Amino acid sequence: MADTIKLFVNGVEVEVETGKNLIDAIGAVGIEIPHLCYHPALGADGNCRMCLVGIEDGRPPLVPACKTPAQAGMKVLLDAAHIKKIQRDVMELELINHPTDCPICDQAGECKLQDYYMTYGRPESRMTVPQVQKSKKLDFGCGVVHDQERCVTCGRCVRFCREITKTGELGIINRTDDARVNIFPGRPINNRYALNVVDLCPVGAMTSKDFRFKQRVWFLKKAPGICHGCAKGCNITIEHNREKYQDDIIYRFRPRLNRQVNGYFMCDAGRLSYRQENEGRLLAARLGSQIRPLEDVLAACTREIEQAGKIAILLSPNCSLEQMVAVKALAAKLQASLSGFSTGYIKEGDGDGLLIEDDKAANRAGLALLGIDCSRESFEKAVRDAQLLINFNNDLTRTYSDSELKKLLKDTKVIIAATHDDRLSAMADIAIPVATSSEYAGSLINCHNILQTFAGAVSRNHKPANIGEIAAKLGSPLQSRAEQFAELRKYLSVLKDFEADTVPAEGLKLNESEAANVTA
Amino acid sequence: MSDRSQLISTGKPFQYDKERDAEFERLIKRYPTRESMILPSLWLIQEQEGWISQEAIAYVADRIGTFASKVYEAVTFYTMYQLHPMGRNHLCVCRTLSCWLRGKQEIVDYLKNELGISPGQISEDGRFSLEEVECLGHCGTAPVVQVNGEFHENMDVAKLKALLAKLQ
Repeated sequence: MADTIKLFVNGVEVEVETGKNLIDAIGAVGIEIPHLCYHPALGADGNCRMCLVGIEDGRPPLVPACKTPAQAGMKVLLDAAHIKKIQRDVMELELINHPTDCPICDQAGECKLQDYYMTYGRPESRMTVPQVQKSKKLDFGCGVVHDQERCVTCGRCVRFCREITKTGELGIINRTDDARVNIFPGRPINNRYALNVVDLCPVGAMTSKDFRFKQRVWFLKKAPGICHGCAKGCNITIEHNREKYQDDIIYRFRPRLNRQVNGYFMCDAGRLSYRQENEGRLLAARLGSQIRPLEDVLAACTREIEQAGKIAILLSPNCSLEQMVAVKALAAKLQASLSGFSTGYIKEGDGDGLLIEDDKAANRAGLALLGIDCSRESFEKAVRDAQLLINFNNDLTRTYSDSELKKLLKDTKVIIAATHDDRLSAMADIAIPVATSSEYAGSLINCHNILQTFAGAVSRNHKPANIGEIAAKLGSPLQSRAEQFAELRKYLSVLKDFEADTVPAEGLKLNESEAANVTA
Repeated sequence: MSDRSQLISTGKPFQYDKERDAEFERLIKRYPTRESMILPSLWLIQEQEGWISQEAIAYVADRIGTFASKVYEAVTFYTMYQLHPMGRNHLCVCRTLSCWLRGKQEIVDYLKNELGISPGQISEDGRFSLEEVECLGHCGTAPVVQVNGEFHENMDVAKLKALLAKLQ
């Protein structure tokens, strides 16, 4: 923890971090100061007046907490009658023109206006004039839908587009009670982080075209996860629900704060990658074109392995470290060649230095750590020499065209452990359904050498197996995640103090020597 | 206040004329940041065209190098920027305290009657547009009518009649 200072809140002494404003400093010890316009990533704006507090040192009677740095000995007043009155009054003002359409509003259940209304005084409306009418259901582009009447003009979305993405599509048009957020005609939102404004919006003014009306938020189960969309490894919340008699469905990914990795945000591509977890999945094991029970298919795999002279094994750069060590041990046992060849996952020049990386694989650093060869030459040579290729979910269609792939694999039998029912798994002789990253626990190393762990969030009806389990069933000596993690410790001394489930939530920054260890 | 967010598109690109182009370049040297030019460059448009179109806003935003949304904010915030075509002669009658006490209503009523338009409207022949505005800062010589930017002080109906006759 950083340096601390002591100050008083409602006469009670609390110890808080220095260098923060009152909202963050006091908020960190569990005392909430209500605020709408302030967001830690966007800074203080001071326009909503919801965070007004009293400081007993001769200053003006009310100061905005977002603009007031916490100082030692400060006497902060939150529960005095005049503070409560101002909070209630601000709520009343915010609600003058706010439509009471909570039952049909997508934000209901995670709306600051709802929460604050209930907490801070529940003012009754005294208005006898008609409410100001504005536009609704405006398509701002990039999947953002705006309702001007619900807006509290806190300006978070405007500041996000100006300060974070630096694209500035949004502005607050007009003034006084006619003020509203809008785009300039013909210049819609056009950036790769647009849907963050939906998260930032404290009310239901910004909604996501993708998510709205799909699910009431209070039905969603929330589980932490790591986005596997690129090498950044943004921390996410996986929000899913199993409706009666249905499968467990993911409804959205939302960014989860990790200052070391992604901060408060994530890109739209990563956010919408939840769809791939739900759709197009390989649901049953296949022997040729026939669906068979998994046990039969695994038995067939074992026969193929026994019959094959030489075996090549291919790993996906999206596999977790545990899966990689399990498959590596399998390769050693079968005396098979092992490759992580996956240049097709890299989209040169696609990264932007913000959160999007060129490399669309989540754990390429893991392949390097385990010393797994990733060159094209050795992979292609291994495939040509082998009678059997076992592909652990490496999407070769990203690297090869269909005709190249057919040519490459024409004399080779292919077993694929695949998440998706696609061209690639259709080409395989044997296909085994496996879990996607939201369905198993594992660890990854991101592009900045930060090791992060995640737990399984979703359990699907078709119960796909983890690649680690499949490797174990095919003969890998590492039978459980504990054994796999123990094996990992041989590569990463930093893990000696940790178990798989005790790695810190913000991840472990691997130091230079460990990064150097990587290629050894 | 009213909603000023509906911009009018002319359907053709906007450009400063030669004189305003030079003025823009002269003014921009005055300011520490290019964004400071938003308000003056909007005045230049209004001077040239009489009003400010969607294309003109996009033009100055791109020329200054700022977000069109920022210029859009400024132009809708300040009510003296006209966002639709005005009459050839634009009449502003001050309606703030001093002018009100000194008889602005008589002037407005006369104009309404004479021109057949209410404040905020343009006469059918396009000769006049009428607007009631907030304090013009000439309280000592109230009531004040501003015609095409020029102040006419101590106004009454007779003086206004003579003035209107001169305006084409």
